[in-house]
Amino acid sequence: MANLDTLSASQIAAGVAAGDFSATEVARASLDAIDRRDVSVQAFLEVSADLALAAAAATDAARAAGERLGPLAGVPVAFKDNMHLVGTHTTCASRMLENYDSTFTATCVARMLAAGATPMGKANMDEFAFGSSTESSAFHRTNNPWDTERVPGGSSGGSAAAVAAGEVTLSLGSDTGGSIRQPASLCGVVGMKPTYGAVSRYGVVAFGSSLDQVGPFGRSVGDVALAMNALVAGGNDPYDSTSQDCPVDFLEHLEEPVEGRRVGIVPALMEAEGLASEVRIAIGSAARTLEDQGACIVEVDLPNIAAAIAAYYVIAPCEAFSNLARFDGVRYGYQEKGCATLAEQTAKSRSHGFGLEAKRRQMLGAYLLSSGVYERYYYPAQQVRTLITQDYLHAYEQCDVILMPASPRTAFRFGEISDPTQMYASDMFTISNNIAGNGGISVPLGLGADSGLPVSAQLQGPAFKDRTLLQFARAIERGFSARGVVAPDLAGKGGELA
Amino acid sequence: MKELAEVLKDWEAVIGLEVHTELTTLDTKMFCNCRLSHDDEPNTNVCPVCLGMPGALPVPNRKAIQSIVMAGLATNCEIQKHSMFYRKHYFYPDMAKNFQTTQGPVAFCMYGHLDLEVFGEGSSERPDGTGVEKAADGSYVAPIRILRIHMEEDAAKMVHVGGEEGRITAATESLVDYNRCGTPLIELVTEPDLRTPEEARLFMEKLRETYLTLGISDCSLESGSMRCDGNISLRRRGETAYGTKTEMKNINSFKSLHDALEYEIRRQAEVLEEGGIVYQETRHWEPSRRRTIVMRVKETADDYRLFPDPDLAPFDLTDAFIEECRSRIPELPDAKRDRYVTAYGIKRADAAQIAGDPKTARLFEQAVDGVGEKVAGTVANVIVNLLPGHEGVSSEQLRSIAVLLAGDAITFAQAREVLDLVDGTDDDPERVVDARGMRQVSDAGELAPIVAEVLARCPDQAQQYRDGNKKVVGFLVGQCMKASKGSGNPKLFNRLLTQRLEG
Repeated sequence: MANLDTLSASQIAAGVAAGDFSATEVARASLDAIDRRDVSVQAFLEVSADLALAAAAATDAARAAGERLGPLAGVPVAFKDNMHLVGTHTTCASRMLENYDSTFTATCVARMLAAGATPMGKANMDEFAFGSSTESSAFHRTNNPWDTERVPGGSSGGSAAAVAAGEVTLSLGSDTGGSIRQPASLCGVVGMKPTYGAVSRYGVVAFGSSLDQVGPFGRSVGDVALAMNALVAGGNDPYDSTSQDCPVDFLEHLEEPVEGRRVGIVPALMEAEGLASEVRIAIGSAARTLEDQGACIVEVDLPNIAAAIAAYYVIAPCEAFSNLARFDGVRYGYQEKGCATLAEQTAKSRSHGFGLEAKRRQMLGAYLLSSGVYERYYYPAQQVRTLITQDYLHAYEQCDVILMPASPRTAFRFGEISDPTQMYASDMFTISNNIAGNGGISVPLGLGADSGLPVSAQLQGPAFKDRTLLQFARAIERGFSARGVVAPDLAGKGGELA
Repeated sequence: MKELAEVLKDWEAVIGLEVHTELTTLDTKMFCNCRLSHDDEPNTNVCPVCLGMPGALPVPNRKAIQSIVMAGLATNCEIQKHSMFYRKHYFYPDMAKNFQTTQGPVAFCMYGHLDLEVFGEGSSERPDGTGVEKAADGSYVAPIRILRIHMEEDAAKMVHVGGEEGRITAATESLVDYNRCGTPLIELVTEPDLRTPEEARLFMEKLRETYLTLGISDCSLESGSMRCDGNISLRRRGETAYGTKTEMKNINSFKSLHDALEYEIRRQAEVLEEGGIVYQETRHWEPSRRRTIVMRVKETADDYRLFPDPDLAPFDLTDAFIEECRSRIPELPDAKRDRYVTAYGIKRADAAQIAGDPKTARLFEQAVDGVGEKVAGTVANVIVNLLPGHEGVSSEQLRSIAVLLAGDAITFAQAREVLDLVDGTDDDPERVVDARGMRQVSDAGELAPIVAEVLARCPDQAQQYRDGNKKVVGFLVGQCMKASKGSGNPKLFNRLLTQRLEG
């Protein structure tokens, strides 16, 4: 008897296509796992059982009619709650959008469904994706499946936890400064932030428009590659003018050896303050794994990377302030009742609809964009952005990918980090990639020697070389036993395929 | 208040215009595929993008960019290959996203100019010796520089219910119609080169003619698809520093533009001459009371927190795109006017008037197709002096009337009558003239007896003529016309009378 815990996405799709089990059975197994496990994990804000069963039934009907099924046929998928899916709410984990019905379906969601995936529901997140622990969700916390007293990371904490808990096989998250790669690392799953423009942002509630990118979580590199194929299928999205054609089969070179290829290491990053030694050690063994497979390790320099966090916390709040200005309670969302004037209604709706971190970022953005201040911060931040982008271009003249940590440490306890700037440092290894618009991926390296919690490597690559990233990620995965692991306390609880 | 002419002797008026024009001839909005139509039921031409729903993204309308590049080329602007959209923030429900997508320091079109030919009565507003060279008839050319034309999106329409004159003050409810939200809008900003209300009026007129010829907008000041704000300040003649300016709003006709500026020049002059201060403020033109009133005082500059829109990649217009836009530009009014003058020998002012309106120009060109210079001149004359008010006259009918008129078969007054009769019908003017017996008798043999009879009846007038009062012939022609019951050709009567009296 099969359990969803041990099936890869391609195995599920193949099994559904072959008639080994139906998409409906898979959907029920996923609902069962959610039912049994999400009590302790709380990855979901909304479980869309009806939508899931309807989609699964449609997949089964298509098979019965002899139609060719998609590459994700019957695969249970969760979506971060900043992605629209008609028939679900899209709350962004904010009171501001608590009862907001999706008015259309996001392109990334639609493409997963077009590939045959079954939509299981919407995953918890930091409010409007502001955070690295999912603690800023207005509704509830999400617990790390490996240790429920610890955070799953963020902002796509629910998406990462749902996959790590074996509740779903794949999920989508969004990554503005590390919001896919950091929670993937803390939850021990694979998480990929594709190159900016590879995946459409249409229908994903914007945080930082020039930084946001949608990407998949899975328990294996192969599953993530399969999801990537679905996300880029159909070419660039006419509804997102920043999206680009990405005509690549991500599975094609996945198993190709990395022999003779070059992996960059940035020595300064490996000595960064705040980097846990167990993480440093794990990255060292990841490097050896690649070397064992014939890759050569080269030292590269990213001289301006130290300024990345500062530049990010200028650019991202500015864009967030602007993107969130629309939430005024006039047309939709939280509206303060009984106000005498429009100004009062706007002010009170925003004051009471947004949480602390959302307000902090918007106030920061409003300040940074104001005249006289803008010139002193926004311009230099953009200059830093250019410098960092150039740093990467130079580095990639010497190597194919760069290996570094995804998170400076393993999952931390709830409430452990209360200083916002300390929380911002969680993204010290991921942010520069958003600044440059390049792709990056988190790959599990097993458990940390000190904490016994998941540790991951991060691979970064040049723009639109996401296939190369997956190839190197697969090489690391081959050398570690972390593949396909559901958090041990949860594995086997429900999820049986009848 | 002093009269305008008097004020402008001592003061120089410095006027700049900001002209917003909706690209009404496009099918869809600036950043989404919603239909462009403001007349439909409120909030029916809307989608997640123009309603500012979360997750929606803008996609620029290529045809709108084409239109603004054409506008730039037609107004002698430098087309900026590299430019981008910015976000301009303010909280108000007419802007669904609470920011307007507009352009930053670099607009698609920069540094253009239009040369105004100012003639007729209006040219006298500008005192002699104030920077332009006037011709003998007082006419002059004023080159007006254009700072920029940028692309942006229009806001939604707000309807304030229960307040005074639809304004927000004391309104009990405010309704928003998002049909207009996201309409492609181009804003042209002139340099402060205009010096008289007439020049401002002419500039607007010329700009409107240009846009109409390009076919990028219906340019209706009345409905608001073309809107104009006027900035005005005064300075003593000879001074170079600018005075404090006020901004004029609610200008919905050419006359309003002229009159509001005239009022404001006179008002400011009075304030300044009495030792007062002109405040930097926005003023509202009240056409019914013919005055401007304060809308709001600008104490500090608004902080719109402008920054580049991260959802829209910067533009890099290609030479091929710009050339494609250039190739779509039809003959512009100035070139058309010059051609009419050269090809048909018609009066420059008439030619300018006809060339300015594409519909009229088309009618003219069809009507003069294959006719000689004399008839062409008559066609122009009829168009300028008789046609206004007649919407349904075909080019064939127009030509036919001009032929009749040029051949002295009908009088000018009769031509007006014929126009009235054929307007909106397929009737042939020749037949109408014949059927109604309007055709003038131009046979000297038939008219000679009438002339003889009138001279016999009016010996006194005949004598006056012979004594040197040549003007009296008009009276005699009138008598002849009366005697012929209007059917005689007055010119022929005139000639016959003159021959008889002088012979």
